[in-house]
Amino acid sequence: MAAQYVLSEITGKVWKVLCPVGTKVDEDEPILIIESMKMEIPVLSPCAGRVASFEVGEGDDVSEGQKVATVEP
Amino acid sequence: MSFEKEIEEHERRTQKVLAMGGEKRVERQHALGRLNARQRVDYLMDPGSFLEIGRFARSERTEDRENTPADGKVCGYGRIDGRETVVVSHDITVKSASSSPINVRKLGHMRRTAQANGMPLVLLNESSGARIPDTMGAIGTGTLGQDPTQFVRMRDIPYVSAVLGPAFGTACWFTQLSDFVVMRKDAQLAISSPRVTSIAINQAIDPMELAGWKMQSEVTGKVDYAVETDEEALDLVKRFLSYMPGHHGELPPRAAVPKGADDAVGALLDIVPESRSKVYDVRKVVSAICDPGSVFPLKERFARTAFAALARIDGRVVGILASNPLFKAGALDADSCDKATGFLVLCDSFNIPIVILSDTPGFLIGVEAERRKAPGKVINFMSALQMCSVPKFSIVMRKSYGQAYLNMGGTRNSDEMLAWYTADVGFMDPNVGVNVVYGLRYEDEPERFTQLVEEVRRDSSAYDLAGIFSAQAVIDPRESRAWLKRLLEVHERRPSRGIGKHLLGGWPTTF
Repeated sequence: MAAQYVLSEITGKVWKVLCPVGTKVDEDEPILIIESMKMEIPVLSPCAGRVASFEVGEGDDVSEGQKVATVEP
Repeated sequence: MSFEKEIEEHERRTQKVLAMGGEKRVERQHALGRLNARQRVDYLMDPGSFLEIGRFARSERTEDRENTPADGKVCGYGRIDGRETVVVSHDITVKSASSSPINVRKLGHMRRTAQANGMPLVLLNESSGARIPDTMGAIGTGTLGQDPTQFVRMRDIPYVSAVLGPAFGTACWFTQLSDFVVMRKDAQLAISSPRVTSIAINQAIDPMELAGWKMQSEVTGKVDYAVETDEEALDLVKRFLSYMPGHHGELPPRAAVPKGADDAVGALLDIVPESRSKVYDVRKVVSAICDPGSVFPLKERFARTAFAALARIDGRVVGILASNPLFKAGALDADSCDKATGFLVLCDSFNIPIVILSDTPGFLIGVEAERRKAPGKVINFMSALQMCSVPKFSIVMRKSYGQAYLNMGGTRNSDEMLAWYTADVGFMDPNVGVNVVYGLRYEDEPERFTQLVEEVRRDSSAYDLAGIFSAQAVIDPRESRAWLKRLLEVHERRPSRGIGKHLLGGWPTTF
């Protein structure tokens, strides 16, 4: 199965990367945290697999629907 | 023995129908890991309770009379967990269970009988769509549409659909009309098959992109559950029906309360973080408040900022609607409004009291929100809530701002409103408010900004809300279950005995 994109569902700023490249993750496991509306909002893995890459880093601005990482199932 | 010839002929005809589309086609169905239409009925219904209607119906075309047993739709009455139900099971082995004038006549009879006698209608959908050549030309097409009430939904009885293979045409239409939909992950649901669609629009089509479970459960939100097997799908149909009355003039069945049902609510203070900038999963709150094992989420993969579930409190069926801070901090978007509206319509139609839990910074605003027609959807949601005549209770857990506060049952938009002592209610987030009112950002003057935020935040507590009697009580989160149990007892005393006015019965089945 092809790698799946992890999308930010909200506009904000990347606050913390929780799972570096190579980390094994479950479906719905938080991969990074975005700060938006004064809240720390987790971005969840769309599937079980391994984090393959990041398109953004801590401190970067992201917009709704933006690709922030990929996960290989 | 008298009537020997008739008995023999009756048996021959019966066996021919029960053999469906023939050994080869039935085997092909099994090789796909699917049950056949009759096995599905057997799995669904209590043993020995199925009464087949229209067994000897067949195509009206002379050349197809012998090869269309039951005309591709196995229909009848049977009991599910002891309760009468009507089932229509599409038989893909007979002309791909395509729709013909005769089997549409059967379907109409089943639907009308279900409505007349107050029984849920269960549709096991697997069909290629309209039968060709039967429905071709003016005569073929003009023969359809003889039933002017075929697609009218007043929600007098529950409709339930399982999509167990390709489901196009009528099978798709009835799925759209249904209150609950479960779909196999290898099934397809669309207006027309990928092949027909591809030819019609001259474009290569990925069948799963067009009609797969991800599209239907995550994008359109029509499908409540996506599963691997027929058995899982049929078990979910049974589970959904266990929360439903047979018809809108009955209350849903009350269940026994599991042992230790009051124990979990004590954990609420550990589930909800003290820091307001931290999120949590509202599903854990719902599980702690409701009877153990009773929470049955609907459309869980769709519009996840809104969580909707059927559940039980003290054995009584309730509909839980909650904002979920885990997703988008609980900010409600256009899809969430659609999901909430559809859920309120379901609860009101089938006499299910509504419990709303809110922790939301408000509606998600912006260009995308306007493009998605969010304002109209917010007001549909609001109208639906105000037209609901079943008991409505709301709890403000933490923040609840602006119009979203009202949509989530704020003040008189529920029969009783409770506020946890952590509640924070205002027109908008105080940080945004300071920026809007004073034109000041934190970066400009941190000290003054913080002072102004404190000023804006003043008078926004649970006690301020209760002080003007907009909240009927301020409670400890751990008292939530006990309060809801008592409120359900009080509000079921109304003269209607909990049967609603059903003003939303005729609302659309998709939004």
